[in-house]
Amino acid sequence: MSSSILRGIMLFTLAIVLGFALMGFEMLASRYLYPYFGGGINTWASLIATVLVALMLGYLLGGALVDRTMSPRLCGFLLMGAGAYLFSIPLWVDPLFGWTLRNVGDGMVGITFGATMLLLLPLTLISVFTPFAVRLLLTSVSFGGRLVGYVYGVSTIGNVLGTLVTVFTLMPLYGSRALTMVFAGIIVLCGLAMVAAHRFLRGSAE
Amino acid sequence: MTERSGFWRAAAAAAAIALAAPAALAADLLERRESLYNNIFIFGDKDTVTMTFGHNKRYYTESSMKLAEPTLLTVDYTRYMTLGVAYAAKPDRILEIGLGGGRTVSYLKMFMPDTAILAVEIDKDVVDLAKKYFKFTESASMRAVVADGRSFLMRDPEKWDVILIDAYRGPFVPFHLLTREFYTLVKSRLAPGGVVVQNIEPSTMLFDSATTTLASVFPSVDLYDGGGNVVAVAYEGQSLRQADLLARAARAQERFKFRHDLRAMAQARRVLSRPVGKVMTDDFAPVETLRAIEKHNEKWKEQTDAPR
Repeated sequence: MSSSILRGIMLFTLAIVLGFALMGFEMLASRYLYPYFGGGINTWASLIATVLVALMLGYLLGGALVDRTMSPRLCGFLLMGAGAYLFSIPLWVDPLFGWTLRNVGDGMVGITFGATMLLLLPLTLISVFTPFAVRLLLTSVSFGGRLVGYVYGVSTIGNVLGTLVTVFTLMPLYGSRALTMVFAGIIVLCGLAMVAAHRFLRGSAE
Repeated sequence: MTERSGFWRAAAAAAAIALAAPAALAADLLERRESLYNNIFIFGDKDTVTMTFGHNKRYYTESSMKLAEPTLLTVDYTRYMTLGVAYAAKPDRILEIGLGGGRTVSYLKMFMPDTAILAVEIDKDVVDLAKKYFKFTESASMRAVVADGRSFLMRDPEKWDVILIDAYRGPFVPFHLLTREFYTLVKSRLAPGGVVVQNIEPSTMLFDSATTTLASVFPSVDLYDGGGNVVAVAYEGQSLRQADLLARAARAQERFKFRHDLRAMAQARRVLSRPVGKVMTDDFAPVETLRAIEKHNEKWKEQTDAPR
């Protein structure tokens, strides 16, 4: 098998796994927010908006970084940072949200602040991966449209699985905090894989 | 006429099962409102008005009132909710989470004019409709606050003698109002000698977990069959002797002259002695899964004993 096919397999696998974890975290975040800010449509609005802002920032940042560096290692370190942040959530979430509720309240500002503290930074760092994957796989402009379609399509399959499997299978079996830490660990492993495969993923890039 | 009263008995029984069957039989839709949290339907005819939440094409009765008799609690379990007054060392301050039509608090207010009552309701439209159709009126000593029950309790350090929890959104109780952390918070807001009263739907596995979680925080939990729904009364300290409870019920009944006699209701007491469910926590509360597992309706009595 040619190394460019193997590279594709590795990056698409990472896209699925990271897509899974990203939406898994969105669903888990609701479990952290409900006890403090209530379980209504307003909590979901703040949560979804926060995730979309993180995606936007991650795509912008990832695009800029990959053009400048072509460095899978850099992307790997950012993923490890995201994983470490997410892993720490269970340690500080209760004191922080208690403080938020008392000092900011449970209105839109309070909920959005809570969702931002939970997810904005780590999900931004995770979504940096998508432009990296596109650029690392791009060998010819004539294939560019399909390639972008594949990367987004595959990572969206991960998103869908992450949403459904997390809510319908994992959360009825395991606690939210345990799932948070396992997902975070998986993201760190994805980052490590990118650092370890730095040369391979760069391939023949200039 | 007998046929007609049979119909009404059937209608009352249907309404009593707060979480079942299409309610508001043969009544007109007076108002429909889509709020931030619920699809609210108000049904009524010349005798009755009913508030229901629509969910999955079914209507779940939240409140019902007979217009000519505002002192009558038509839904069985709401009568048992008032038993908290008998348990409490001094029933001076009552908090309710989940207002609905406000029938329980309005009833309490009618018989206990000097008691301070606060109702916390997440849905502003529910409060509006309670005022519009159910004669719920705010005063200096009876107020409604629009807030999530749990975030209200977290922010408000006041203590209460009786805390009534009846927070259903159609068929659901939000998970964060069923966990050990929530009940621990509730306990911290009880004055000495205070009690918690909660309406729990008994037909699924969620019932077992809810009562077990309650029992993990409160040493004493009593259960009452409220005609379909079960009313749990939880408190600190040893389980009350039945004779003491009956004496307290008699004292409270004498003082407040409730329409629905506390002494008679206290007779139906069962003591939760063998909780069989899993304790739910903020970390792990699979309420949707537990709710999906149905069990035999009357089985819960096997987890209880007659009071001593």
